Amino acid sequence: MDVVIANGPLILRGLLVTVEVSVAVLLLGTLIGIMGGLALLYGTWPLRMIARLYVDAMRGIPQLVLIFAVFYGFPALGLQVSAILAGILALGVFCGAHVSEVIRGGVGSITHGQTDAAKAIGLTFAQRLRHVIFPQALGRILPAWVNTAVEVVKASSLVSLVSVVDLMMAIQQVVGRTREALLFYAVAALLYFTVNFTISSIGARLEKRYANT
Amino acid sequence: MYSFNWRPVFDNFDLLLKGLLLGIGIAVLALAIGSLLGLIAAFGRSSGPRPVRLLVAGYVEGVRNIPLLLLIYFAYFGLPLIGFRVLDNLWSFVFALAIYSGAYLTEVFRAGIEAVSKGHIEAGKAIGLNRWQRVRFVTIPLMFRIVFPSLGNTFVSLFKDTSLASAIAVPELTYGAIRINVNTWRVIEVYLVVGILYLATCYAIASGLRLLERRFAMVR
Amino acid sequence: MSEQTSRRGFLRSSALKLGAGVAVLGAAGCGISGPGAAPGASKLNEVLKRGTVIVGTGSTNPPWHFEDEQGNLQGFDIELARLLAKGLFDDPAKVQFVRQASDARIPNLQTNQVDVVLQFMTVTAQRAQLADFSIPYYREGVGTLLRLSSPHAGALDLAKWGRKVKVSILQNVYAESIVHAAIPEAEVLQFDSVANAILALDSGRVDAAAIDDSTVRWLVRQNPDKYKTGNYGWSPQTYAAAVRPGDPIWLNFVNTVLHEGMTGVDFDFYAAAFQKFFGVKLAPPPVGFPVEFGARH
Repeated sequence: MDVVIANGPLILRGLLVTVEVSVAVLLLGTLIGIMGGLALLYGTWPLRMIARLYVDAMRGIPQLVLIFAVFYGFPALGLQVSAILAGILALGVFCGAHVSEVIRGGVGSITHGQTDAAKAIGLTFAQRLRHVIFPQALGRILPAWVNTAVEVVKASSLVSLVSVVDLMMAIQQVVGRTREALLFYAVAALLYFTVNFTISSIGARLEKRYANT
Repeated sequence: MYSFNWRPVFDNFDLLLKGLLLGIGIAVLALAIGSLLGLIAAFGRSSGPRPVRLLVAGYVEGVRNIPLLLLIYFAYFGLPLIGFRVLDNLWSFVFALAIYSGAYLTEVFRAGIEAVSKGHIEAGKAIGLNRWQRVRFVTIPLMFRIVFPSLGNTFVSLFKDTSLASAIAVPELTYGAIRINVNTWRVIEVYLVVGILYLATCYAIASGLRLLERRFAMVR
Repeated sequence: MSEQTSRRGFLRSSALKLGAGVAVLGAAGCGISGPGAAPGASKLNEVLKRGTVIVGTGSTNPPWHFEDEQGNLQGFDIELARLLAKGLFDDPAKVQFVRQASDARIPNLQTNQVDVVLQFMTVTAQRAQLADFSIPYYREGVGTLLRLSSPHAGALDLAKWGRKVKVSILQNVYAESIVHAAIPEAEVLQFDSVANAILALDSGRVDAAAIDDSTVRWLVRQNPDKYKTGNYGWSPQTYAAAVRPGDPIWLNFVNTVLHEGMTGVDFDFYAAAFQKFFGVKLAPPPVGFPVEFGARH
């Protein structure tokens, strides 16, 4: 037990980095995803094509390759990027494709009847989006978005492979120092589980609130 | 300005290709083992006694909320340190990936099992099949056809996950990229080619699966 | 050091420094090709004005640069950074460290993210095209870290075991050729961090970890019950600080600081760090004729 406490600060700092990276990726990804989703749903043909290509490309490339590509590639092109930024950019772009699909699926599942009724009572596109479509879509988008959030936290562990000292890297350092593999891998599993379980629980509660749409 | 030089990549293309094939092989193995695990666990969860149901739930929830990298590190670095020096780095990875996919597949199969309509099971009872026979000849074949699309998606996912094997020096595609890159600094060329290889392979697998789906899968 | 506010004052002092730098380093072969940078445009001025020196370094490679239990950076590279700060501001604490991965060493210099890189950087012709290197501050080599229980004694011994031998190493430009130079048939496993390469040794995944000789000594000193030092070191490499190319004034300054640490007024500082991190007690340079020009009596 003492050994856990002794290495506690290092591990907690790693956890903090993991959380920071995850939040940043989620923010970036959601932003990109909203734009992508809207493009897929309502964009002009060329815009839809680009969005489609983007989503399909992200589906076929592993996240790790994307991270390496940004981390090694950007400096080669002259764009300075730190390891943590490279990780956030790469994962954010990847996450954006996911979220685009989530939004497209959520909104797309709203029947035409709703949109027709909204048009019939004279709402503009923006108003339809705000008052009719989005509130209903939210109920469908939310659970999938929460899933994406959990995937993001797990994917954040990949940044340890470009030397970012996140939870994964911190645990490796501690295991190397103390040789207490079982103990500390269990600690890591517990921490990741706790974070993700919390996210899922919050998601479930939010889902209940919006479920009746 | 960056000057392209494709030679190091194409000189080492065989390295990349071998890595690609290894990746596919790993994905197939992991899918097979994971499916076995998932199938047993799924039946355990849907029709087993309470302790079994809890165990499976623990396994599924536990594994689905932790990163694959953690499982890989545990299998590769951790197990030997606590005395289980059995698997080499390739098999450690397959083991980790199989455990990881097993958790997802448990849920996939469980949904599939529950989706097999009562009608078919009743028909099985009517022609005198006992419980095991019903499971073997009715539930499992029907369930596989129902979950086929999900299985296919999982396979593509697993193939992408094989890129993590590079972290423990398994010579698959991403590790090949690391070796070329690190020895020749041709970053952009390497990752462009590797990215395209992954994309093309995923696309090919997905198309192949879609063709199979049309013949096998049952749309409910 | 007082701020250089007048252009004439700066020109005068930098001319003095330049002259001193040329005299000291002439024998070391560092040719200074005239005052290339425009007056006042040197990074030295920028750093002095800023009040801290920004040093790019790593955080995961003892004994060069690593974190202690509280997360504070320490190591030989760190000590040299403090020596630089001492030379600039008379205060070894006036350093701002930028933790960076190995592959960011040159990019971070080129884009001015850091003033100088002190990150056990091996001098190579390829890198010299992209960055300016200082004079050497250490000559490193590759050694093998072995488990205490290992049947091998060192690299030459491992070579006798042919293909059966597995060696771990950090991903780097010369990874495979370095290992094969001493252990020709070994299977080389490249890892993303030294920590993982050593963990592979701990887990029995490899027979030896091919890491820097200095690191081997450090680890054996820290854990004499776990490891032993391989008895053969090979592949000499020069470690030097790196700065952005095209700034002879700044490069000269860094060289001066390092030089005086190794042979002059700051020798005690350098030697203390050397003892602390490599376990080697350095003899001070003999007084009289300068050692740089060959030992004479």
